[in-house]
Amino acid sequence: MEKMIKFVDVTLCDGCRGCMVACKNWNDLPIEIEEFHGVQSHANVTANTWNVITYTEVERKDGGLDWLFRHASCLHCKEASCEKVCSEDAISHSKYDTVVVDEDKCVGCGYCVEYCPFDVIQLKTLKDGLVEKRKAYKCTMCIDRLDQGLQPACATACHAGSIVYGNKEELLAKAETRLQDVKDRFPNANIYNPKGVGGTNTVYLLADKPSVYGLPESPKVPTSAVVWKDYAQPLGKALLGVTTMAVVGAAISNAINNKGDGGHGHE
Amino acid sequence: MSKQVKRFSKPVILAHWLNAFTFMLLYFTGLPLYSEWFDWVYVLFGGPENARFVHHYGGLVFILPTVFILLVDAKSFTHWMKQIFSWKAHDFAFFKGFAKEFFGLHADIPKQDFYNAGEKINSLLQVFTAFLLIVSGLLMWFADFFTTTLGFSQSIILLAYPMHSIAFGLSVAVVVGHVYLSIGHPNSRPSMQGILKGYISEDYAKAHHGKWYDEEVKDNLKM
Amino acid sequence: MGGNPAENHPISFKYLLKAKQNGGKIVSVDPRFTRSSSQADVYAPLRSGTDIAFLGGMINYAIQNDMIHKDYVVSYTNASFIVEDTFSYEDGLFSGYDAEKRKYDQKQWKYKTDAEGKTVVDKTLQNPRCVYQLMKKHFERYTVEKVCEVTGTPQDKYIEVAKTFCATADPKKAGTIMYAMGTTQHTVGTQNVRSFAILQLLLGNIGVPGGGVQALRGESNVQGSTDFGLLFGNLTGYIEVPQAVAEQASLEKFLGVVTPKLGYWVNKPKFLVSFLKAMYGKSATKDNEFGFQFLPKIDPKDYSHIALFENMYAGNLDGAFLWGTNPVVGGPNALVEKQALGKLKWMVAVDLWETESSSFWQKEAGSNPEDIQTEVFFLPACSSYEKEGTVSNSGRWMQYRWQAIKPKGDSKADLEIVHMLARRLKEAYKGSTKPEDKPFQAMTWEFGEHDHPDIDLVAKEINGYDTVTGKLVAKFPDLKDDGTTSSGNWIYCGFYPEEGKNLSQRRDNKDTGMSNFLNWSFSWPVNRRILYNRASCDPSGKPYNEKNAIIWWDESAKAWGGYDVPDFNKLLAPSDEGGATAFMMTGTTKGNLFAPRNEGPFPEHYEPFESPVQNAFSSQQINPAIKIWDGDHNPRGNSEKFPIVATTYRMSEHWQSGAMTRNTPWLAELVPHMLIEISEELAKDKGIKDKDKVKISSARGEIEAYAVVTKRFKPYTILGKTVHQIGMIWHFGYKGIVTGASANNLTPHIGDANTNIPEYKAFLCDVRRA
Repeated sequence: MEKMIKFVDVTLCDGCRGCMVACKNWNDLPIEIEEFHGVQSHANVTANTWNVITYTEVERKDGGLDWLFRHASCLHCKEASCEKVCSEDAISHSKYDTVVVDEDKCVGCGYCVEYCPFDVIQLKTLKDGLVEKRKAYKCTMCIDRLDQGLQPACATACHAGSIVYGNKEELLAKAETRLQDVKDRFPNANIYNPKGVGGTNTVYLLADKPSVYGLPESPKVPTSAVVWKDYAQPLGKALLGVTTMAVVGAAISNAINNKGDGGHGHE
Repeated sequence: MSKQVKRFSKPVILAHWLNAFTFMLLYFTGLPLYSEWFDWVYVLFGGPENARFVHHYGGLVFILPTVFILLVDAKSFTHWMKQIFSWKAHDFAFFKGFAKEFFGLHADIPKQDFYNAGEKINSLLQVFTAFLLIVSGLLMWFADFFTTTLGFSQSIILLAYPMHSIAFGLSVAVVVGHVYLSIGHPNSRPSMQGILKGYISEDYAKAHHGKWYDEEVKDNLKM
Repeated sequence: MGGNPAENHPISFKYLLKAKQNGGKIVSVDPRFTRSSSQADVYAPLRSGTDIAFLGGMINYAIQNDMIHKDYVVSYTNASFIVEDTFSYEDGLFSGYDAEKRKYDQKQWKYKTDAEGKTVVDKTLQNPRCVYQLMKKHFERYTVEKVCEVTGTPQDKYIEVAKTFCATADPKKAGTIMYAMGTTQHTVGTQNVRSFAILQLLLGNIGVPGGGVQALRGESNVQGSTDFGLLFGNLTGYIEVPQAVAEQASLEKFLGVVTPKLGYWVNKPKFLVSFLKAMYGKSATKDNEFGFQFLPKIDPKDYSHIALFENMYAGNLDGAFLWGTNPVVGGPNALVEKQALGKLKWMVAVDLWETESSSFWQKEAGSNPEDIQTEVFFLPACSSYEKEGTVSNSGRWMQYRWQAIKPKGDSKADLEIVHMLARRLKEAYKGSTKPEDKPFQAMTWEFGEHDHPDIDLVAKEINGYDTVTGKLVAKFPDLKDDGTTSSGNWIYCGFYPEEGKNLSQRRDNKDTGMSNFLNWSFSWPVNRRILYNRASCDPSGKPYNEKNAIIWWDESAKAWGGYDVPDFNKLLAPSDEGGATAFMMTGTTKGNLFAPRNEGPFPEHYEPFESPVQNAFSSQQINPAIKIWDGDHNPRGNSEKFPIVATTYRMSEHWQSGAMTRNTPWLAELVPHMLIEISEELAKDKGIKDKDKVKISSARGEIEAYAVVTKRFKPYTILGKTVHQIGMIWHFGYKGIVTGASANNLTPHIGDANTNIPEYKAFLCDVRRA
């Protein structure tokens, strides 16, 4: 299958937020009227708002101003922490190299929320007294549209050509070309496709350093997730097995060797 | 029938069983997160949200026995603590024979304290893992509070996850042994009486806690 | 400049971004750094209301630095015309001013004519009385230093803008100016646009691909509505509405007044008579002046928005239709306009939602329903997706749209509502013998005998018929003034040239050359895509820019060829009489650098009605020709009490008064709160922190909003003193999913001298923490 990625060239974005509406429209997500944050509508993505345009004002060295916009959404890491820590195997990679959550399997433990290096997966919580029904949601890269041979809704809606979805090789090459094009205007421009998470299926051309956009400079799968999932848990399971085996062995062995008279008392 | 020897106070018994009960509850409600083989537990509880509810608030109850025993019978608690941190030659010598005995073979084991070395190691591990479980549990449950209000770094929250997991595995392993020895193993089964009624037989005390019997019980019985 | 396409016309911005990737440069001139500015190569701020100063300086810069397209200027503009000696300019006033009436006698601004009545010209442009020399002298005062003192633009930025844009004087280059309400909504709005036109003519940027002055219309079909006579002074196709004055008492007299001697408008009688035939059908005959007397005449009064509401407020109006309009949020001095609605006897509101205006009488509007006697009717209208018909865009493409979904509930298309109303009124007037009812009886209304009109019949009536054969007219050159043709709107004549061929329905998206899509929809006139495209070639018919040639004279074929419909007779050779003129509709056949308007033939800077400074260019503080609406209900603020300049604007996420967007959940959540934007410096002065609630007051009212403290607004240094400016969105009202205070409670009743468009974009206010 042809390898595809989403390429977000933020230097072309004019911050219209059409992608946000297209996303909600296609995925039929309810509105969330948040408190006043200024020009930005939502502080961050939520379980009901899968992409948010962020607005950042940066004064340039020459006295000019940059008003930077970023379509913030799931980056679909190759090595996805959310997938790694999921307790239910509810998060997986699709055939489109995107990360998807199986709503039916998700039990709302929230491990993924804490472990996502980009803070893009969130829980939807329905409170019933103290009992909280929860499920994790995030951008699906419109997998139901991809299945139909369509583009993700955000890419379709983007009039500026800032969000495009297409052939991986071509878009990565395009990203390099665009980087050269904008270097004069944005000396800190860079391609954001972090190696620490094995690369992402959403690749950004950023106009400034990742941290300016609230992105980690070098994200990686947290060590604690590796310790936990690759060592502690298998070891714990083994330990459980060993103790259980020991107990079973002891029971059998006692049945054979020990007359079961209450122990040493009758030496 | 040999004479009965007093072993545990009523509050200690209550605290032990409350601890044991909530541990099992937490164990079961946590199991499906540990391994998908146990997802049927969710069904028993009527969905993950209820299991989570039980696990969260059960966790709070899990802290209770310690508080309770400190309030009601601090003496027993300090005795227990002193004991489990006191390690002498006869304690170390215990293990050599224990392995044999565990599998039903005859072994010579030196005379033991009020808590034999096995019980001591069990207690130590339980205390240690419970502490880890409680701390990491609170960190995970109230992550937002710790990060936004108290300014903890997210990496500390993330540490809580493997910590909870490791402590869980360890505590369960210990508990499996503990439970087996108390209800499954023919030789140690009678000790169960101590934590149920508070008394054990003089014979059993003599055989399993010889040092304690010699130093404290024997004389009292004679009086 | 004066527009913010990234936010308000995002689809147009798509093409700017493409141009930029192809090496084009985007220049953004705006009081505040906008989302458009974020993509600009050059950004320059200016204080609201100083556009003429800014542009006057650029005109001067182009002339002084010889950055003009000389051949174009000589050949295609009226630069060479000699002006009568009666014309003069001194200290902010042109000759012929009557201070009492605040009006000019425009007869003093005529061109000199020879014995035959022909305009005297000097092609060398050396005659001190020629338009070019007069213009040069007029704008000499607009030096970079002076301009920047008034506009507050940093000089280096100003020069960068001037240099970048004036570079398009090179015939191989083109530049376009995109503007919107930031340009027009001023007491000098018309002259702001005139300044664009002058600059573009000097640079040779009109009629060439990638050139022009682009009016970004505020709504998808504003172009269509003005084409179809929405403005009170126009019939369809920009024919004047006759006035109730003796000089226009008959068809002949009227045509004598409004028909120019030169250019294509000499055919106006054909267009008007065809229009009358469409209106009155068989009742329009040669004997009754084709029904000219049936047409309602306006007395020479002002029927603009402000004037209507002033009259309403004074109790001079009985009733009103608010058809998709929401003045309680969108009108200037909105609190007064709300009160004015309460003085009507009846009011009909036609809208998709119950808007602030249709519910002006309710408690939540702050009204006491018991005190209001107005009888209010609400007719639910359906949205554009629930009906069919055409929409004309800024490029004059008439595009047909089909119905996507059925209307909700009882809501109806506007056309259906008009149709039902017309049919019932015709029925009601049927038996009347009163003379004043005659026009209604004479009017034809043959769009089907059902409450749902036959839209195809409407389309055909717009195109027009040969009234003898009953066949559709193929193009407007075929229209006649003898009553044998009809056409509802001459400029659209030809969009339906024969049965079954409605060209607005064409959807062939094949590039037919030079990024033209001639087989996509229909562009008036006669499917031409670039108006005045003759100006893209030199007088001999050779394209100024071979690389981007759009049309050219093909000597071997003895015809004009190219990628567009040539803007005149296709067979007219450049050497023929009139073959080298490019502006067929301007009255002079030239691009008019000198063009009389109510406040003069050249733009001159005047301060806004409310300004924090004295006019540095003359002792005339404000536009001398604007009408002042006196009265306690419309107080004028002064800079002692209200020292801060304010402007209103829109954001991408909301549309106009917000009736549509604040009722659409997914849009409402994007900007859910009323906000203003203020500079960090002003915020510091006033003790305002980002996201604080603030109160903003003007002489008319006070509102509350959240503050966005931003680097995108900076204080200006104007004539040596610091002047602050704030901006606010005007999308909010008290109805809908999200609500908030209306910015227009602050704006004044004052308008442009020609159009009376309100000055929403520059007024005075003060701001403090709530």
